[in-house]
Amino acid sequence: MGSLGLALLDSLDIGLLLFIIAVGLNIVFGVLNVINFAHGALYMLGAYLAFSCINGLGMPFWLTLLVAPLGVAVLAVLVDRLMLRFVYQREVTDSLLLTFALLLILNESVRMIWGTGIHVVEPPELLRGTVNLPGGIRYPLYSLFVILAGGIVLFGLWFLFNKTRAGKIMRAAALDRDMAQVLCINTRLVITGVFAFGAWLAAVGGVVAAPMRAIDPGMGDKIIIESFIVVVIGGLGSFPGALLGAIVLGLIHGLGGRFLPEINLMLPFVGMAIVLLLKPHGLLGRRASL
Amino acid sequence: MNRKTFLRSAMAMAIVGAMAGTTVVQAQGKQEPIRIGAIYLMSGSAAMYGKFAQQGIQQAIDEINAAGGVLGRPLQVMMEDSQGKAATAIQAARKLVYQDKADVLMGLDSSGVAQGLVPVLPELRKPFIITHAATPDVTGKLCNKYTYRVSVNVHQNMNSAAEVAAKTGKKRWTTIGPDYAFGHQSWEFFGKYLKEKMPDAELMKEVAFPRFGAEDFTPFIDSVMASKPDGVLISVWGGDMVNFVRQANNRGFFDQDFEVLFTVGAATEVLTALGDQLPEGVWVGTRYWYGAHDNDLNKKFVADYKQRYNAPPSYNAEGAYVAVYAYKAAIEKAGKVDGDAIAAALKGLEINAPTGALKFREGDNQALIGPTWGKTGPMNNEDKIRSLTEMVTFDGQKITPPVDPECKL
Amino acid sequence: MVSHEKTMNANRAEQATGSAQVRQAGASPNMTRGAWVVGALVLILLVALPWVAPYFYIFIATEVLILGLLAASFNLIFGYTGMLSFGHAAFFGIGSYAVAMLLQAYQWPLLACLLAAVVVATVLALVIGFFCVRLNEVYFAMLTLAFGMMVFSIAHQWRSVTNGSDGIAGFSVTSFGLGLDLQLGNPSVYYHVVLVIVLLAAALLYLICRSSFGLILRAIRQNPERVAFCGINVRAYRLASFTVAGAFAGLAGGLMAPFLRIASPELLHWSMSAEPVLMTILGGSGYFLGPFVGAGMFVLLEAWITSMTQAWMLVLGIILAFMVMFFRRGLLGTVLDWIQERK
Repeated sequence: MGSLGLALLDSLDIGLLLFIIAVGLNIVFGVLNVINFAHGALYMLGAYLAFSCINGLGMPFWLTLLVAPLGVAVLAVLVDRLMLRFVYQREVTDSLLLTFALLLILNESVRMIWGTGIHVVEPPELLRGTVNLPGGIRYPLYSLFVILAGGIVLFGLWFLFNKTRAGKIMRAAALDRDMAQVLCINTRLVITGVFAFGAWLAAVGGVVAAPMRAIDPGMGDKIIIESFIVVVIGGLGSFPGALLGAIVLGLIHGLGGRFLPEINLMLPFVGMAIVLLLKPHGLLGRRASL
Repeated sequence: MNRKTFLRSAMAMAIVGAMAGTTVVQAQGKQEPIRIGAIYLMSGSAAMYGKFAQQGIQQAIDEINAAGGVLGRPLQVMMEDSQGKAATAIQAARKLVYQDKADVLMGLDSSGVAQGLVPVLPELRKPFIITHAATPDVTGKLCNKYTYRVSVNVHQNMNSAAEVAAKTGKKRWTTIGPDYAFGHQSWEFFGKYLKEKMPDAELMKEVAFPRFGAEDFTPFIDSVMASKPDGVLISVWGGDMVNFVRQANNRGFFDQDFEVLFTVGAATEVLTALGDQLPEGVWVGTRYWYGAHDNDLNKKFVADYKQRYNAPPSYNAEGAYVAVYAYKAAIEKAGKVDGDAIAAALKGLEINAPTGALKFREGDNQALIGPTWGKTGPMNNEDKIRSLTEMVTFDGQKITPPVDPECKL
Repeated sequence: MVSHEKTMNANRAEQATGSAQVRQAGASPNMTRGAWVVGALVLILLVALPWVAPYFYIFIATEVLILGLLAASFNLIFGYTGMLSFGHAAFFGIGSYAVAMLLQAYQWPLLACLLAAVVVATVLALVIGFFCVRLNEVYFAMLTLAFGMMVFSIAHQWRSVTNGSDGIAGFSVTSFGLGLDLQLGNPSVYYHVVLVIVLLAAALLYLICRSSFGLILRAIRQNPERVAFCGINVRAYRLASFTVAGAFAGLAGGLMAPFLRIASPELLHWSMSAEPVLMTILGGSGYFLGPFVGAGMFVLLEAWITSMTQAWMLVLGIILAFMVMFFRRGLLGTVLDWIQERK
């Protein structure tokens, strides 16, 4: 194992966190044909709410994991009802522009509410410290938790889309919205629900990331391009694709930073471009949709 | 037109009308204030730098105004956001001078912004005191008679870092720095000065330059640990440093027996965020440490700042504070509020700052100050950050390299 | 099933936005005469600006003109050809870098530098466009984003050539070229130079938009399949549109470098690419002058609002949201539509 194993483990850790954050973007696009530019801001909001809950209100981490994303989901419902409903019927570019406006609003609001400082959240007691892995590696417990959390989200989504009625309704609406409406599925509810669900996932990513990352007003912008790259590589609208895309990006960051430092800034975009040119629907594409 | 369009247009007109109606009319006071235009990072990840600067400026202004102002006139500050972009800063400077009638200017956190703005200053014909940006070029090949700097530049900081490094006696050094000019220059200059002091020092080929704003430093942490250096020079700052330290802690980075130097590590916002997560026994540097100067001016400055803002002053706050006082002295020396006169009056000016006597060197308008380095020690429970032990404040006269020959003032 | 949904959405989109067609000026004789009068007044005001307005507005106006040209070039791709590009700043930025590097190294006359900027931007647009125009809609947007950020990354990391994150600064503009002796260091003079160049470029761009080429582009925006069935190579026209737009963006970038005295990687970042998008939405993508109006709105609002509050981005976001939701035709679009409806 040793050093390569460590590098791979790091890539997995980075990748799965990215997966949790980016998969919501993928689902929202798959079902609603909306590219949510504000997705990164929702992630940031989740992290800041986690900070307020844990540091401000003294809530335990596990409760915060339940509560904070719900708060963001409620905000998402408001955004959907008050803003997005005007653009769902229009071209996808309009939703891109409107969510970009939302991004500007959210960024500034976060800065106004929480200030400009860097905030830090500690991992829960249970997950502090390191473990000894085979090969003489000391690995942080929390990073292993992140990998586990990614796996849980993955399984949860698979279960949702394949085994539950709600999931099947979402897939139906993704395939043909008019037909779903004809079949008396309440598309209004589905649309709001999916958007809120995507926001909820982003916020879960934020809460999970909070103990690992410095919380500052720029974190939303940092993550949105990453998320775009993940969903493009994996395939817009495909949630297993989001996992693949996240892992690929994690690898690009981890290995590229080490072995190709002169061009490491460019590599993720090169990867993005290659996928778009060869397989525009992503490595797993629409065939494996949802 | 139909009702819907009418309602929408009315709404639009109402919004525009409300905005127009809230236009602020400049009240003409009896005593026209002297206007200071300040350009800092007020948004984005590093927005706290601008906030600290503003706090330092405001404290200085309140003190000066309470004592009667400058030439009988009160001081007033106008803050502008550089957004970290040279283009924005240049437009902001033009706006401050032509539109808002700023008399003097100060600012700049980002070196890239300084590189862009400084060549434009001679057109604006207003003096500019840089209080943070560390690029050597603005007192080197880009120097001009309007640009002054009260903060350390990369040369001064790296020269002192090399001193600290040489004293540890360690030979093999590597670096982890942000992948832009600041990170690369820090390493380049450190290497140059270290070799002067310790010719058998080895500057390792394996170095790490994570992209600026990267949130995951783990690959770089691992690779540096694997390369087994004797010492590591770390120039990541701000949020990056917070992320780095926390992730490094998890990997046992600080348990290894190499020396660690954080070039700009003694920054209060970082130390506050990290708390006791920053381990003891690492070297951190800063241009100003609130606990390092045992003079009355500093004691008063720190006490007042703590009372106003509930936190010890960061170097950015102190730098901005000093710049305001520098302007006070220069304006009084010039006797009038005129851009060229004040710029000339700043030349060779010596004032009292919390760091001691501060003088602008005539050859390049750089203040001859030395940074403070210290080893992190036990937690200071009152200020809730690590204290510094083995503090050494370098003598500005000795630590500043000679005037860059490319600067012809 | 998916393409069926797309066509239905496109139909609804047309209804929602009031028509996907770009309206042509001159719907009635009264309209044309009115338009000419307004245009002449605006022109006189622009020329006389340095003498009638406060000094700072010279800089504002220069910035509006340059960014307006950038936005208008973007609108050729967006409003006329129907493609949303998020990497347009690549051509703008490379034009800036070309001029900055030439001025710093060789002190060529400005006109020669601008020409070089246009050539470089055109070549880059041809290369990038060649790959991008194969894709549709959101995939096209993503690929242009990727290429734009690639160019940004190169400028940021290739320190030996581009001076990395610090950019290229410390150059001065000396001569203009064509034997004209102009004090280009004087902001007022530079403003007039920019005004003339932008007017000429805009006129040329307008002719392109009004030509049969422009007509085909608009047809492609509305229904690419039908245009293809007419035997037209849709991809070639898209590439041509993209390249022409890139050329004009390069010209705008070239004008920006001496104005700012610096060419830095931020000019290539996706956040810079977003500016012409915002300006076009603010002013209106349906009329040729919409992007210019939008540029004016954006720059003036920014200058105005930053005086009052630090939360400029918040206000911009709110205004943008309103425009996208209710005034999708933009300021100029809504006003002109309203005028035309009344006739």
